[in-house]
Amino acid sequence: MKLKGHKVAAGKAEGEAVVSPEPFSFLGDISPDTGVCNIKRPELDGKSLIGKIIICPTGKGSTRGPLTAYRAAKNKVAPAGIICKEAEPVLAAGAIAARIPMIDRLKADLFKVIQAGDWIKMDADKGTVEVVKR
Amino acid sequence: MDFLVKMGEAFDAEEMGDAQSAHIHAAMPLDYLEELTEGAEGTKVFATTHANSDPAAIDPDGCKRIGLPKNYDIYELIRAGEPPEKVFKIYRRMGYFITHTCTPFYAGNTPKPGSHFTWCGSSGQVLSNSWFGACGNRDSVPFNIAVTVTNRTPLMGMGLKKNRHAQVVARVEGLDFTKFSDADWGALGYHLGAIAGPRNVVIDSLPKWLTTDQFRFIASALPVSGAVCLCHVVGITPEAPTLQAALGRRKPEIEVVVRCKDIEQAYQKLTTATGSDVDLVTLGCPHCSIQELKRIATQLEGKRVSQNVRFFVAAYRGVLELARTMGYLDIIQKAGGVLTDCCVGSQHPFSTLGPGLGVKVNANNSVRMDHYMIRISNDKVKQRYGSMEDCINAAITGKRGGK
Repeated sequence: MKLKGHKVAAGKAEGEAVVSPEPFSFLGDISPDTGVCNIKRPELDGKSLIGKIIICPTGKGSTRGPLTAYRAAKNKVAPAGIICKEAEPVLAAGAIAARIPMIDRLKADLFKVIQAGDWIKMDADKGTVEVVKR
Repeated sequence: MDFLVKMGEAFDAEEMGDAQSAHIHAAMPLDYLEELTEGAEGTKVFATTHANSDPAAIDPDGCKRIGLPKNYDIYELIRAGEPPEKVFKIYRRMGYFITHTCTPFYAGNTPKPGSHFTWCGSSGQVLSNSWFGACGNRDSVPFNIAVTVTNRTPLMGMGLKKNRHAQVVARVEGLDFTKFSDADWGALGYHLGAIAGPRNVVIDSLPKWLTTDQFRFIASALPVSGAVCLCHVVGITPEAPTLQAALGRRKPEIEVVVRCKDIEQAYQKLTTATGSDVDLVTLGCPHCSIQELKRIATQLEGKRVSQNVRFFVAAYRGVLELARTMGYLDIIQKAGGVLTDCCVGSQHPFSTLGPGLGVKVNANNSVRMDHYMIRISNDKVKQRYGSMEDCINAAITGKRGGK
């Protein structure tokens, strides 16, 4: 399945989809040292986000978030890509700071077309997302 | 410039505009700061730095007495094992005034109506957008730095007039503002922030005599329970001569009436302590104004802080210097109070150090401090929310009664 969206941060990525139903923040939700997820939900807590594509509604939280994203990228434990419903400035700055491709505003209901575990190929420059069902 | 162009593109900005004011994270990681400012000349914008200093910088003896180690947690810097001086050297080269405060307006950083600013710290963002009528978003830490390098900012969000109208109208019923304390104004903001979420707010029917200090308590609470950037006050703030003007003649999405019970409910959410004993009293989130330091000194004159209580007061060091000249610092210190210019909000040193030092209950008059201390201490430091006067009484008696 191929979908069209809007570029937030440039680049191409592919990886397994990790779905957070709640807004995502680099500060607090991921360890910049290990890339492990700290979101207190059974399906996410303790899961590695390294090389994963994060699917979330939008961003939230402290304006220091992009510093954590930058640190995670330097430590080579960052997620590979981000797809959200509607970008918010702090999450977008995190993606730009860490050079993580990011797309928003898919012309489809994000949480219906992508489920956890799907394989995602994204090209933010073209604004395209390809979903391969697991 | 690359960073800002990318951000502008992500949010469909059509052009860049001149920025006049910036407020910078106090403790940037050295490697990223070097990357962002590489080859940059000094900034042209009025740039100050946020609260995050050594808590013991102002009053080392007092801090030692209440158990605060020197150089305690200057945040990412210490964690990355970097000496702060290397970071401050770049700040000086860039011309960032190292103010260490969340109230940079007391250091002269007061963006004018309609001008563009980029500020670190959500309480200042709301104040600048609302009270000064300047234009700025929930910009992130690297964004603030990038603006000081280019002196330009992408025009998006709050930077565009069409996005500055209120979507939430708040009216009040049965509240006696002549009896309102600083904590009551904060409770009003805490209540409204939760209703508004990320929307702009307009409050109707507040008294004309509302002061900057009082509005600061409303403004700093709004982005704690919500993500508010802008709060107009009809007849007071520059973009709200009338309710219709604040709304841009559009129908609001949400209309709300605030009553006594809403203020009381906010107090309940902010009070986790059950007994009346208090062993920590903190004032200064956001940092105290000179007027507040005057009130503290007036109430404390000739009295002593209880030996069971740590009384901790935070303000910008320029304001503290003025308070010294006025004799207020002498009174506060003689009474047993301890002064600091560190952050006592989301980075209150006793959120993490308190439990180990036996600190059980913090009396305070700040929504922001209270809310974050509950969470960061994992509810180990209980909170008692109340007016500055009640907090000072608690510092003297070690007991806190009443509301």
